[in-house]
Amino acid sequence: MSFERDTLGRQLRNRLTPAAAAFPSRGRQAYRAVAGLTMLAVLAVAPLLSSGYVLQLATDILTFVALAYSWNLISGFTGYVSFGQVTFFGMGAYATAVMVLHTPIPWYLAIPIAVLLAAMAALLLGAVMLRLRGIMFALGMLGLARILAVVAANWSFAGGAVGLTLPAQLTPNAVYAGAWAAALIAFGLNAFYMRSGLGLSAMGVRDDEGAAQALGVATGRVKILTFVLSALAPAAVGGLVAWNRSFIDPTSAFDPNMDLQLVVFTLFGGIGTLWGPLLGTLVLMLVGEQLWAYVPELQLALYGGLVIVVVLAFPGGMVGLANRFGWLLRRPIFAPRSFPAAIVPPPAPPSRPPDDTILEVRDLSVHFRGIVALDTLSFDVRRGESVSILGANGAGKTTLFNAVTGFVVPSEGSILYQDRPVAGLAPFQRARQGIARTFQIPRLMESMTVWENVLLAAQHGRLSRRALEQTAWALHITGLAPMWLESIARLTPGQQRRLELARSLALGPTLVLLDEVMAGMTRDEQEEIRGVLRRLPEFGVAAVAGIEHVISAIADISDRMIVLDHGKKIAEGAPAAVLRDPVVIQSYLGEVR
Amino acid sequence: MLVLQILINGLLLGGMYILLAQGLNLVFGVMGVVNLAHGAIITVAGLFTFWFATHTQLNPLVLLPVVFVAMLAIGALLQRSLLEPLAGVGRKSELLSLMITFGLSYVLVEIGLDVFGSQYVSLPNLQTTWSLGGLTINEALVAAGVLGAAISGALQIWLRHTDSGKCLLATSQNRIGAVACGIDVSRMRCIAFAIGSSLAAAAGVLIIMVIPLAAQTADSLTILAFVVVALGGLGDYRGAALAAVVLGIAQSAVGYYGGGDAESVVPYLLFILFMILRPQGLGRAVQAQ
Repeated sequence: MSFERDTLGRQLRNRLTPAAAAFPSRGRQAYRAVAGLTMLAVLAVAPLLSSGYVLQLATDILTFVALAYSWNLISGFTGYVSFGQVTFFGMGAYATAVMVLHTPIPWYLAIPIAVLLAAMAALLLGAVMLRLRGIMFALGMLGLARILAVVAANWSFAGGAVGLTLPAQLTPNAVYAGAWAAALIAFGLNAFYMRSGLGLSAMGVRDDEGAAQALGVATGRVKILTFVLSALAPAAVGGLVAWNRSFIDPTSAFDPNMDLQLVVFTLFGGIGTLWGPLLGTLVLMLVGEQLWAYVPELQLALYGGLVIVVVLAFPGGMVGLANRFGWLLRRPIFAPRSFPAAIVPPPAPPSRPPDDTILEVRDLSVHFRGIVALDTLSFDVRRGESVSILGANGAGKTTLFNAVTGFVVPSEGSILYQDRPVAGLAPFQRARQGIARTFQIPRLMESMTVWENVLLAAQHGRLSRRALEQTAWALHITGLAPMWLESIARLTPGQQRRLELARSLALGPTLVLLDEVMAGMTRDEQEEIRGVLRRLPEFGVAAVAGIEHVISAIADISDRMIVLDHGKKIAEGAPAAVLRDPVVIQSYLGEVR
Repeated sequence: MLVLQILINGLLLGGMYILLAQGLNLVFGVMGVVNLAHGAIITVAGLFTFWFATHTQLNPLVLLPVVFVAMLAIGALLQRSLLEPLAGVGRKSELLSLMITFGLSYVLVEIGLDVFGSQYVSLPNLQTTWSLGGLTINEALVAAGVLGAAISGALQIWLRHTDSGKCLLATSQNRIGAVACGIDVSRMRCIAFAIGSSLAAAAGVLIIMVIPLAAQTADSLTILAFVVVALGGLGDYRGAALAAVVLGIAQSAVGYYGGGDAESVVPYLLFILFMILRPQGLGRAVQAQ
């Protein structure tokens, strides 16, 4: 799968930029790959030839590299910080131990089976735990690990508080090989996240989960999948360690100190980065090994202190420091070498009758505990039409958009999109069917480039050549192509609004809901947005713009205008007529004297 | 009679749990952070009390005001140096603060382990039991339960009936609104963490008389406090008081019928139930934001 995508990306790069096609020489890449593999092989073989102490240290380091990378997957990429990743380590350890003691399954099968069991447990647990947000998830995982320790201590089949003694069968060399495999798998998963659509979606969840939903990211699925993947290596390592020590008990299997180590290693190296977990584990374990010989009792206190120091003084960790010198920078996901010269517009909209209704809002009411935000509102939007919704702050525009996009459940009434009711569809499903939106206050993905912000929306959950073309087109049409690799922090407020618009267009929508799209913009910036909005009909996109202040900027490009007042529609029609309507003037612009 | 015995024990245990959770609730309300070092503060204060009382032969309760005041200063210092720098970093501030308290809890627990060792200890003071018409009542449990409830009550009176207390309460209910009213929110955070820490320390002084503690119990105390707060509704003090009493009674009933192991599982079970049934939970606190 990943191979296919990689090839696709390379093809695309070559196709889009013929001049640069020859640049990444295959000879050099092959040379680097051979050099890297040789180094890995030397590193892998050397401990086997030296003392038992070195082999044990190497095994320990690999174990923690695997654990740190797994923790990085869920905590670094999706931003769901887990203080209980040891849960899966303990599950793997116990599952392996029970299989060894009670079945004739050989170790090389027992550990994969334990991993599978842990993955299934993660699937079930994830469905519950990942409904918790932020600190509640962190706390939930902390509690979960403690609960499992209590369960293990009281379950006689699992040895109870005394633990289980295993027949010593696994040689140090086998454990070492297994630890290598776990570390490589965990690293591989991180590397995959760093350069795939799944990774992009996970980072979207981390930056702004709600906005990611609105861009068509199946946030629930992404989170649970990541959670399951983050359970694999810990379970494998748990099985290996249990067998290596030939003894497990609840305290060592669900050791809370292990979570501290994962947190401190990853934070120190750089959370959410590809090389951070490796660097942090290597440095702290090699330096630590010397240090703990002198002050063994202070190890965990120093780790705890180090967490505080890293968070306060250099939250990016070692990789963050390296980034300041331009080293170890993250590469934008699926960015071609230069901005595509050939812009491929989206396919022409299906030729259907011009009065084709795409959105029908019928008697829509939304109540918030007695407050009526929308009151029996009805209106239609036709394909390629431009409708503006006028209303003061609190008139119900944002609530209307939230109801159509699925962020708010209507109290009464129905919403039909392309003749089908949307009730029951999640926001991301509506987005993928072509209902796009922008937010009143731009909600951009802060850790991503302009390119990735748009690609996140364009991918529809799966990267394809079409997604890359769509991304390039959306950036081109909104005039953001020149700053396509900039970070969000360097955009002006006007450019940020245009990026929101570009993102929503990248979804390939039929309907775009624009919440205060021109608020706080200069004349020039308004003109740029107007230019884009004018072109929407030619792509078959209908626009519904919610407007409070800049009426003149929207009136002449609107086909129709609807005026809301306290959640009720008070006028609808051609802009010129509506703006002259005495009812509108009285409620919206002030009393006529 | 048996039911009455369980009720009385549970009620007294609940009185102590109110105090246990009060500090966590206050810090969460004002700072939006679950203080993972809460249990560590309780434990270290409790172990210090044990050490002090066994070395001086004094009544441990004389330590209560001393520990309270000392922890106020330490708490204020910790908040200013470790947590306040993160208050301005926006959406990520809560997670980063959580990591800080995670690190802090290990620092405190490990220091506790080095100084006081890892064995479970409980104070032998106040172990008189009174017999009252068939009921046996433990003096230490009475002292802990009544004092715990009294300190919590005093805090509530301060929060609701004084200007300085109302400022704190206002900040926990609506941060932006508090700023608009001219409340120095940064100062409130400092006060909240200082008081939250000293409440934890006071709880430690009382708990060591009733429940054996060791440095490694810190986490389970944090979880216990969180369960009380979560069941009552984060930021809801009356709800937390009710939850504390319910938990106390449930635990003493389960302890009577099922033994010590089962008793210690009760908070965890409630914790799981809370996670499953009210994942968005926290009812009022979430809506207030």
